[in-house]
This record gives sequence, C-alpha cells and structure tokens, in this order.
Amino acid sequence: MANKAGPQRPNGTAQAKICQFKLVLLGESAVGKSSLVLRFVKGQFHEYQESTIGAAFLTQTVCLDDTTVKFEIWDTAGQERYHSLAPMYYRGAQAAIVVYDVTNQDTFGRAKTWVKELQRQASPNIVIALAGNKADLANKRCVEYEEAQAYAEENGLLFMETSAKTGTNVNEIFLAIAKKLPKSETIGGSGSGQGRRLVESDTTAKTSTSCCK
Amino acid sequence: MEHPKKSQSCELYPSKKEIHNYHGVVHSVISYGKEDDQQLNGTLSLIQESEKVVIEWRPNDVSIDTECQEDTEWALVNTNTRTRTSSGSVDGALSKLHVNIMLNDVKTIKVSNKKNKLTFTLKDNKQKVFFFHFGNVNQFFEELRTTVTLKRSHHDSNLYFVHDKNAIVQSFSDLTLVDRGGDTVWNLVGDLKRRPYETTLSTFSKLTELLLYRNPEARPEGAMVEILSSLSSTDGCPEVDDSYHFICPVLGPRKLEPRGIPLSQDHWETAKDTEGKIINPDHIKQIIFKGGITPSLRPELWKYLLCLYPWNSTKKEREDILNEKTEEYKRMRAQWSTMSADQESRFTFFRDKKSLVEKDVNRTDRTMPFYAGANNPNLELLSDILMTYIMYNFDLGYVQGMSDLLSPILAVLGNEVEAFWCFVGFMNIMYHNFDEDQSGMKKQLSQLHTLLTAVAPDLATYLDSHDSGSMCFCFRWLLVWFKREFPLEDVNVLWEVLWTGLPCTNFHLLICVAILEKEKNKLMSAGNGLSEVLKHVNDLSYNMDLNDILMRATGIYNQLDQSSNLTASTQRVLGLAHDLISVQQSQSEPEEIVGEEKIDVSMENGYEKSIEYNYF
Repeated sequence: MANKAGPQRPNGTAQAKICQFKLVLLGESAVGKSSLVLRFVKGQFHEYQESTIGAAFLTQTVCLDDTTVKFEIWDTAGQERYHSLAPMYYRGAQAAIVVYDVTNQDTFGRAKTWVKELQRQASPNIVIALAGNKADLANKRCVEYEEAQAYAEENGLLFMETSAKTGTNVNEIFLAIAKKLPKSETIGGSGSGQGRRLVESDTTAKTSTSCCK
Repeated sequence: MEHPKKSQSCELYPSKKEIHNYHGVVHSVISYGKEDDQQLNGTLSLIQESEKVVIEWRPNDVSIDTECQEDTEWALVNTNTRTRTSSGSVDGALSKLHVNIMLNDVKTIKVSNKKNKLTFTLKDNKQKVFFFHFGNVNQFFEELRTTVTLKRSHHDSNLYFVHDKNAIVQSFSDLTLVDRGGDTVWNLVGDLKRRPYETTLSTFSKLTELLLYRNPEARPEGAMVEILSSLSSTDGCPEVDDSYHFICPVLGPRKLEPRGIPLSQDHWETAKDTEGKIINPDHIKQIIFKGGITPSLRPELWKYLLCLYPWNSTKKEREDILNEKTEEYKRMRAQWSTMSADQESRFTFFRDKKSLVEKDVNRTDRTMPFYAGANNPNLELLSDILMTYIMYNFDLGYVQGMSDLLSPILAVLGNEVEAFWCFVGFMNIMYHNFDEDQSGMKKQLSQLHTLLTAVAPDLATYLDSHDSGSMCFCFRWLLVWFKREFPLEDVNVLWEVLWTGLPCTNFHLLICVAILEKEKNKLMSAGNGLSEVLKHVNDLSYNMDLNDILMRATGIYNQLDQSSNLTASTQRVLGLAHDLISVQQSQSEPEEIVGEEKIDVSMENGYEKSIEYNYF
C-alpha cells in the first residue's frame, strides 16, 4: 500500500531538475527510525527490526513536479551512549527527521532535545521534520497529537504522525521535506553531474534504491 | 587580520621580524594519534630570525576551547565529562603552550581536512597539528613558499616535502649508505674492489629499501627520493600464483595457508589427563585458531575460552567453580528480580537500563530459530542474563550491542548460569567498546588505521583524502566483533578463533584489514566519499566468505610478523614489541606532541588487564 503513492523514479525526461539532499534520522532508541527508512526505501516492514549499530546509509529518489529529489539518508543509532557520534552524521545535512514514539512520553522529550541540538549545531537552514511514529498503536498512545503539533509549530518544524508498520504518512513526510527544501540553490551546488546520471540511466536509480539495507 | 608586505626573499628581513601572523589557528595536542583531546586557539606566526625561519604558535588564553572541534569527526557535543584515566600528558602540554618550529627541522607538511588542517612532521618524526579556523591555510602556505621550496609528493597530493639548500646533500647523508665513521667509507670502497657485484647489489638494496619501502613521511626528503619513489607502484606488483600475493612492497610475499579442521571429539578426549586437566592448552588453542571447534564441543570449550574454567582445573575443581558461580549468579539475579514497582519508581538508573534491555531483547536475532516466535522463553533468559549483568557491573549497566554479544553464547550453551559467566568473560575483553566517551572505539579505529597504513598504504591514503580517515565505517564490525556481518555459524567460528588470543594482540583488527584490502578496488572507485564507503561496507554483511577472510588475515599477520620495516606503532598494536610499552612507561612526562608514537599507557594496561589469561 505504501508503494502506491510511493517514491517514483524519474521518467527520463531530459529537462528534469535533479537535487540531492543529505537527510539524517535522529531520535531515541527503538522509536522506529530504521523502520521508517525501510518502509520509505524498500516498502518493507520488519516487526523485529534489529537495532542500528553505528549508522546506515541509504538512498531514495522522489519525483516532485519537474524535480527529482534524491535523498541520501543517514540512519543512526539512538541510544544515548552513542550520542557523541551523531554530529558526524548530521554535519552538512540539509534535512533531518526527528522521530519519537507516540506510545512513549520519554521519547518525545528526547526528540525535543534533538531538535534543540540541531537548531544549535547543525546547518543553519536545515529543514527539520518531527515524526510521531507507531501511530497505529492508538490504544497505547501517550503523546497527544495536539501537544506535538503545537510544539512543532512553535519551533517551525514539519510534523506528521506516521506508522512504518502500516505505511501511513511515511512517503508523505519525505515528500513534505522535499517540497520545503530549496531546490534552486542545490542545483548549482551539489551538481547536475550526479543528477544527470540518474536521469540518463534508470538502472542507476534502481540500484541505488534496491540494494540498500 | 592585517596583511603585512610580502617579501620574495628571506635575505631582505632584518635579524628578527614577524613575516606574517594568522589568528584563529587551533593547535591540536595529539593522544592516541587522534587530535581530539586538547584543542587550543591561538595565533600562528612566521618569523624570520637572522638566518632561520621559525613558525611560532601562541595561545590566546589557557582555557581549553571545547567549541572549536568542528574539524574533528567526533564528539561535537560534549555530553559528558571525559573520565579517561590520563597519563598526565595534558597537564604537561598546558605548561608548554608555546610552540616553536624551526623550518629547518621540518621534513614534510601535510594539508588536509578540506584544507583547514596543517600537519608538520619534523625530522625526528614528531608531529605538530594546526587547524585554521578562518580557512586561511592557503595564505599561510603561500607565505611559506616564499621562504622555502616545497615539493609535492607523487603519492599524496596533500603532502609536501620541505627542501632547503642542503636538501640533496642531506638526503644522501640520511640514507646511511655509509655510516658517518670514516672507516665504513673505506670498507665500502674496499668491498667494491674485492666483491664489486655483491657490494653494488647490497648497496642498491639498501637504497631501495630506504627510498621505496618507507612511508612518505618517514622517508628522507629530497628530489631524488621522490623521483625514485615514483618508480615504485603497488599496482605494478606481480602476482605469482594463487597462493602467493604481492600486496605491498614493504611486506614480503603473502602465503595463504588453508584453514585446518575443527577440534574433534577424539582429539578433545585425549587432551585431558586422568584428573581432567587439559594437558597442553596451547596446542588446543592452536587447533581452534586454525579450524574452530566441532559444534557439539562448543558448550564445553567455550567455558575455557571465556575463562569460566581455568585450563589446568581438575574435573572436581570445575564442579566446585560451577557451584560457587551458580550461587553468586542467583544472588545477583535476586537483587533485581525482587525489586518492587514502587522501588523502581525511585530508581531512574535501573528503570532506564531495564527499558533498554527490554527494547533490545525484543529485536535481537529474532530470525534465529533459538529466539524466533512470540513469547519464546529464550528471550526471557536473554533478558534475565542482561539484567543480572547490570547488577554485576553497575558502572557499565547495559549498552546497545551487548545483547548481540550474549545472544550466540546463550544459544550455544543453553544454560542461564553458564551463559552468564561466559558472557562476563567476553565482556572483560569487550568492555572498552562501550566506554562512555567512546575512547575504546576511537582507539581501535585509530589502531586499525595504523595497520591499514602498513598493509595497504594506498587505501589508507585514499580514505584519508576522502573524508573517511576516521575509519568510522568499521564501527559496527569492531563494536560487536562482526556479529552483524556473518551468519551465526560463522560468528561462532570467528569468535572462538578470536578468543584464543592467537596469533597476536588485536587480531580482530587484522580481520578488518583483510576485508578492507580485499574490497580495495571497490572502495577506491572514483569519487567514493564516506557515504559510499559506509554503504559498501554495510552491504558486505552476509556476503563474505569467512574462511577466505581468516586465511587472508593470518597471511597478513605472518607478513607483518616477518617484516623488519614495521613502525613502532604497528608493532605495538599487534603486541610484537612488548619492550616498547615499558620504555614509554618509564618516561616521566612525554612531550606535548608525539603523534602516533604516544600512547596512553594507563589505558593500554587497563585494556590488557581486563583481558584474562586466555587472551595474551
């Protein structure tokens, strides 16, 4: 179901603009960061997704009107013990998804800490999205939608409740980020060279989306 | 920043004159070969003193600038006070803040980190590292060029050799083709006359060894050196046949010996005397190192390898040990299992750790039959052992990755008490992987870089110049000893091989080197930066042949062991030069900068102490 509205590969039109963005996922341990990426990149969900050690790197492209946006996604380990590695991963990121678990109030507090850190330490124009994951577990909800939305508004964050398990809002949150990212600047900066390769060779895009773990 | 007048020639300067100064230059004091320990902000000046040019660095103030770490990969966020037991070198550094470098003493200059970092390697191989906060490193560099000739290395475009008037003369005198004593010169002449062929060959081999096979920074400076070294290329090394590979000119040929057969039931039966003592543990470990253990013997052998039982214990002693350890386990288990919810509500540390254990147990190896399915009772065992370990080691508690280390042990032993104590033995080896400030991991990544430089210098250089010199893409390999990279059966073999402690210290780092070297061409594909390297390395998971990797790693060990050209740091990482550590230890206060050559002795000793008798 996630694939229906899912990310599409470029259709090969020579005029398409290509933008490449670095996106990092942050949030407390076991809130579903890797599961969100797995759903977005491969359309899969594993009930017992193993914990991330160090970091994982994946790519996925989405089409947005006349622009192809290629996300370079850095998925990180959530536990506090590995916090000191995080700057290495969010350095130079143009976008971040800070994830919490709607069934766990502590993870929402931790998400706020991540947002603060990004606002202080990451690139000044970073686009930050807040994702309240595990929204399918409605009967265990501890963090109210309104509370998180109010916080997101105050801090200028994109906000959605998501479910990596059902696919709800997973592609949507990445698309919303893609829309908010400044396309014109990046074209000049990070190179039409890489982008053109994507358009010319559909197989390149296929490879980049199918072999990620 | 003012820009004083430029002068083309140093002769125009009066006896002492500041040529130029640069603010916002951070001097980095190196420990473990990483420049993240102390970073002091200050001003770097180029000064003409009569005939000599001096590079001088003065600090702005003595406070330690923790904000200026943007060039280092690690720990931008200072979440915790570092608790590393220090050898006191930092205090020593603070008392010697000023840095003076005579340009005559500089051998090479390296520009790195997107051109914000300058590393001076002196003729005594000490290093001085500076970060230019305002990005004005190019300006400084151009200024340097007006006073000294810099020649770019053929092998590393970021490395420059410093020439002075006497460069060629010096480069030949440094060769020690002839010792400085006059007798040797006459001996050489005499030898040439008597045995022209042999003497010429041996002299050339000495020249070649020195010029081609040392790493660029250790080579003597001079144009001749560069010309000669450009003739050498690792790509040009011949491959003789399948079992011999010439990988790098510094090392001898690599011999790949086939793996042995696993330790068998028959062999094991004959290994014990009448009381049940193991007659020759070293022989047993050799067999395990070469071929692993027959699966049915693992539950028994792992208890020796993981130090639950001493190799020389009798059957009776082992029964006593197990009884004693069972009681101890029960006592620690009761300490957490009897805690009421009310108590827990006022015990944040415990609650947090418990929550981490629950989260991770639920997602550890659930595809493995032993842990598959909802409400699998083995998950409870996994959880109980980890919870008891929190009581055993409060300071460490539970850290992500530990469930990966326990899972195969529990699956093999199937017994809660035995699995707990074997896990304790494993954790005694792995403890520093979970340091609060990641210092244990950083140290290993740095050591890995040292070894990679010795084995595949071209790959190490490539990674350095592609934002990957931190080796952080190997973090997962090292943290859980390749648990995520191989199927369970392979992990069992790999771990029991590593638990033998053979053939050297840090053999697991040689496994990393073997994999990286095997993947060298793919890793060095055009334009691969950190993200591509990390992705490639992560994607190797479950796509590697363990036997092949173990053969390669063993082959690399033999090459290194037999090489006479290893740097002291390489020898130290592999424990090939034990006397070096004691020499370091006996020195009272090392210089503030000692680059790769300085180690935190207290930490290294702690690491060794934490590893029990099996491991060394």
